[in-house]
Amino acid sequence: MPKPANALVVCNGEQPWVRAYRCPDCGATATVETLACRRCFSRKPQEAFQASTNGTLYTWSVVERSYPGVAVPFVSAIIDLDDGLVLKGNLRTDDAASLKMGAAVELVFDDANGARDEDGEGYVGYHFELVEKANTTGERA
Amino acid sequence: MTDVFVMGAGMIPFGRYPDHKPAQLGSQAALQALDDAGLSIKDVNIVYTGCVFNAQSMMGQKVLQEIGQTGVPCINVSNACSSGATAVREAFVGIKSGLYDVALAIGVEKNPSGMLPVAPSDDLPAEGLFGSDSMPAVFAECGVVHTSRYGTTLEQYAKVAVKNRRHGALNPKARYQSEVSLEEVLQSPMIAWPLTKLMCSANVDGAAAVVLVSERKAKELGLSRAVKIRGSALVSDPWEQRNPVMFDPNTVTRMAAKQAFKMAGLGPEDLDFVELHDCFSTAEILHYENLGLCGEGEAAGLIDRGETALGGRIPVNASGGLLSKGHPIGATGVANIVELVEQIRGEAGKRQVEGARIGLAHVLGFGTSCAVHILEKA
Repeated sequence: MPKPANALVVCNGEQPWVRAYRCPDCGATATVETLACRRCFSRKPQEAFQASTNGTLYTWSVVERSYPGVAVPFVSAIIDLDDGLVLKGNLRTDDAASLKMGAAVELVFDDANGARDEDGEGYVGYHFELVEKANTTGERA
Repeated sequence: MTDVFVMGAGMIPFGRYPDHKPAQLGSQAALQALDDAGLSIKDVNIVYTGCVFNAQSMMGQKVLQEIGQTGVPCINVSNACSSGATAVREAFVGIKSGLYDVALAIGVEKNPSGMLPVAPSDDLPAEGLFGSDSMPAVFAECGVVHTSRYGTTLEQYAKVAVKNRRHGALNPKARYQSEVSLEEVLQSPMIAWPLTKLMCSANVDGAAAVVLVSERKAKELGLSRAVKIRGSALVSDPWEQRNPVMFDPNTVTRMAAKQAFKMAGLGPEDLDFVELHDCFSTAEILHYENLGLCGEGEAAGLIDRGETALGGRIPVNASGGLLSKGHPIGATGVANIVELVEQIRGEAGKRQVEGARIGLAHVLGFGTSCAVHILEKA
């Protein structure tokens, strides 16, 4: 069975999802569970939730040079999800020059570029894609 | 509480020192600073040493093993790129406390080569799979926010590198002492759009040191070359929605600047010059606004009009900045203080800022920490 490609991905045989945490007192969201809420310091256990797969592009960079062995170029992007969670990820696009802050994106699960562990098992990762406009009214697909 | 003065400042030329251990570099800077102050290691009551890549090795004690083991307290700090400034800040606090009259603050580093490494992880390597954690990409993303909001162009970011390299050409201790043209900056290899290679600071080795003293000690030594620390602030990142998924250089800088200005009883309009953390040219643009050198969205205009160049309204990084000097991580924050001292004393040679009386030094460490110091002629 494929393994999560990072600590956020949950894949237990069903549709994969991204797990995040929310403070029951102030509603602050985070990708990790902490001993107390970072924002309001509440020690109530944070609630795990399934992150939205829709969001908008906040900022990005087209990475042309990276660490040895990392394939370039790729677009590194910061995404504001509709539920308040913020994720970093690759944004797959054929037209990086036309990217705009606020563009609608969706989170798409993938096979982590075909990565395999030492036993030959695959991974489940994710990336972002621009949401194409369905028609001239601007309605989202 | 006593005022705190910088009495001595020292810095070795930044570059590569394959035949030296880090502590030997720190020792050279420490002896320069002590000689400059007219003091001996025997006069020092406490030592603070900032270092990152060599921080696990009791760097301060190793320096004392080179220049004299007097048995004084020795505190080693590691705070990413703000490590050196943190050492200065703690020395300031130590003198302010009244416990010490003379404190030695040292920053030292031998940087690894290549793109600086990120922390190891048990997961599949995230780089290139879940965006980039490389520092050029992170600062590119910070710059693109400014570009999206205000239309700041790649050419304007490039002009920062042109300006700072022009300044660096006047600094005999800078790693790069040559000017570059706008075309050269734009045509150098793209690292992470909109940052080309010449818009990224270089990995170098380096060391810098300052001697801080109490008012009593300063008067005993003579105030003619003393420089007073008017403001000192050190902050960590508060909660923000995007942090730490996206590091934020802005909020901590604004917080630290506000605190330092308040302590000094001064505002941005009182500054004669600034040394800020231009690890990447996008950062310098952001910090013009973060430090209050201009209004929101006006930073690119400053670089276009030459207001932050030597001879301009508010010269920024007259030393050449990190883009010229290089960025020996743990030493950088102390080196910025050394530059302030040399400028305020009128000893900065060809890069001297006319009428430099009050200067601000800013350093940012991602993860996140920010230090701002404001110095004035005593």
